[in-house]
Amino acid sequence: MIPLIFVLIGFLALASILYLVKGHHATGGNLDELTSQLRPIDVDAFRNLIDAREEEFLRQRLPAHEFRSVHRERMLAAVEYVWCAAQNAAILIRLGEAAKQDSDPAISAAAGKLVDNALRLRLYAFQAIPRLYLGILLPHTSLRPYFIAETYDIMTRQVVMLGCLRYPTRGMSSAL
Amino acid sequence: MLFLRYYLWIAPHALLGFLLIWFLRRGLYRQSPIFCAFVIFELVKFLALFTISRVLSPSATDVYRWIFVFGLGVSALLTLGVAYELANELLLSHSSLAGVLRPLLRWGAAALILLAAFSSAMLPGVSVARVANVFQVLDFSSSLFLAGLLVTLFLFGKVLHISWRSWPTGVALGFGISACIDLATAALRAEFGSSDFIASDVTQMAAFHVCVVVWLVYLFLPEGAPKFVGRGLEKSDLEFWDQELQRMVRR
Repeated sequence: MIPLIFVLIGFLALASILYLVKGHHATGGNLDELTSQLRPIDVDAFRNLIDAREEEFLRQRLPAHEFRSVHRERMLAAVEYVWCAAQNAAILIRLGEAAKQDSDPAISAAAGKLVDNALRLRLYAFQAIPRLYLGILLPHTSLRPYFIAETYDIMTRQVVMLGCLRYPTRGMSSAL
Repeated sequence: MLFLRYYLWIAPHALLGFLLIWFLRRGLYRQSPIFCAFVIFELVKFLALFTISRVLSPSATDVYRWIFVFGLGVSALLTLGVAYELANELLLSHSSLAGVLRPLLRWGAAALILLAAFSSAMLPGVSVARVANVFQVLDFSSSLFLAGLLVTLFLFGKVLHISWRSWPTGVALGFGISACIDLATAALRAEFGSSDFIASDVTQMAAFHVCVVVWLVYLFLPEGAPKFVGRGLEKSDLEFWDQELQRMVRR
């Protein structure tokens, strides 16, 4: 019985590798289409959702069963935000890869930083989602992914920096 | 059947020799030194085993077996080295990921080694008392480890949306196909014993043949930069990101 399980594991691993290898080639794409897929995220609202003081305030003001329900809704909304941030990061990785090919070394370097941060954000996002679900089950634990908001902010700053380098006449420097 | 067995023994190594020549001519040994060592060792092992089986046989059966098992051990170590090389090139070269992914991969590798050791002990009729059994344990453990590590690598790449260059992807894919088939056949060999040796050998040799062909295909695939069309971030998008930033700075 045990050898047959490993035969099955072998074939499943083979199928997984063949499936996963398809998406790994650097194929390029339409940048306009990619840009249109970026979805806005209100980082303040996300911070508010995972704020421990806000949670404590709700815990003191609401009856226990109502607090649990509100807390669950808040954590599910936070999961939505994290998913959205992760999807934006995936798009920004592609945009950054395109900008990395630019002949200007400053643009290429800025794009490199953006790609690095977007990758880090995706990695954090996949750590954060289980934490948020765990937060629904165990409302008293401190598992809030503050680092997501911080990394998203850094990534946003780098996108603007990249925009400034690519389109210097658009008056973005005052924002920085 | 005899012709097929000889074909599957000789042809992949002939192709591997051809691959080595192109590999060295393109200077890829600087990028993948352990893979280069693996290919050279495989060729040396093949030449030694082929010579022993054709020239010294049947008096040298024991010598053949020991060289075969020793070769398998060294191959397994070199394959793990190639897996490390691939992980380094495909994932850890991204500076922001190295710090987080390195311990994850290290723990994953440790878990796979434990799983391989535990599973080898669970397989029926396997012990380290005889040469053939040493071979089975090595074959099964290294295949399980490599298949697990490559699935993990591909999964990380997919989840993180990392696009890989052609050649390392080809090396990983080739090893992946070979390791998965080897894992399945090594487990079957443990189940059915020596009666199944020829069938499992032929399957493993066929998988290695596919693996070498995959490497050759990827070696000759053009390695161009990905082509993008469009302008990327337009003014309206930049304004949006600008507002985001201003709000952030104001905080």
